[in-house]
Amino acid sequence: MTHWMFDCKEVSRRVSESMDHNLPLYQRMLIQVHLMMCRCCVRFRRQVMMLREICRSYRLHENCTDMTANLSPDARERILRVLKLASENF
Amino acid sequence: MVNARYLFFLNLFISSVIGVRMTQIAAKNSASGSKPDPETWVDQYGDYLYRFALMRIKDQAVAEDLVQETFLAALRGRDNFKGRSGVKTWLSSILKHKIVDYLRKKSRETVITDIDMITETVDGFFHNNGSWKIQPKKWDTDPSKIYEQREFMDTLFNCLAKLPDRLSKVFMLREMEGHSTKEICNALQISSTNSWVMIYRARVFLRHCLEHSWFDKTKVENR
Repeated sequence: MTHWMFDCKEVSRRVSESMDHNLPLYQRMLIQVHLMMCRCCVRFRRQVMMLREICRSYRLHENCTDMTANLSPDARERILRVLKLASENF
Repeated sequence: MVNARYLFFLNLFISSVIGVRMTQIAAKNSASGSKPDPETWVDQYGDYLYRFALMRIKDQAVAEDLVQETFLAALRGRDNFKGRSGVKTWLSSILKHKIVDYLRKKSRETVITDIDMITETVDGFFHNNGSWKIQPKKWDTDPSKIYEQREFMDTLFNCLAKLPDRLSKVFMLREMEGHSTKEICNALQISSTNSWVMIYRARVFLRHCLEHSWFDKTKVENR
């Protein structure tokens, strides 16, 4: 691989960075050229994007919890007591 | 006739003054509603947070302790709460970090505690010439539904717990809570470049950890 091209390590780093900010055009082009030739990096990109999608979907649906479990009266009382004590000290 | 017109405008004036005042009161109530008394948190969000913790931890006593720790941390950080997200979102975000901290302490496997160690681990996925040493495998899954599988999310949280504290924090702030780079940098007092490097290492590690702990195993089971 010629020195001006990105290797897999560099591409994985830039792919991750591109998820958090815009990369310059020449870097985006070098990534695309590499991705046309490298199945592993295509998978890496797809999988980190999938990881993001999973985390965000989870955030949106985290209300779907088991509605039958509740904080026990003892625990509730204990937490209230601790919070009251802590509020006085702050 | 003049009196009737006078009364009409007077009425209009009074109702607009009352309307403005009511809006001010509503705004004040709404602002104070975003930072309620900590004791009301327990009534409003205690059960929700407990269920959330129980779902991840599966131990009632630990879940209760984590809820308590969450409320205490919220009380300490109450002044920093800007009210941009709801109180419930803010509290559940604190709880998620507490869960990962707990899993990290509990983990019997080696937890990467040092940033240098994670750099070494991530570098170990590549050959010296920059090509993949441990190549990413194909994942046969539908990402749109996988978060509904509790076992998968348990695996993800356990993988997060294997990361150094700051890396898991950066990842969770970015991917689970959707904060911008600027917000993350302000919260953790790091530079943008530093945050991108940290989140890159977290992504590479988590991708590998999930492949090893989940996707490889489910593939074997499906055979």
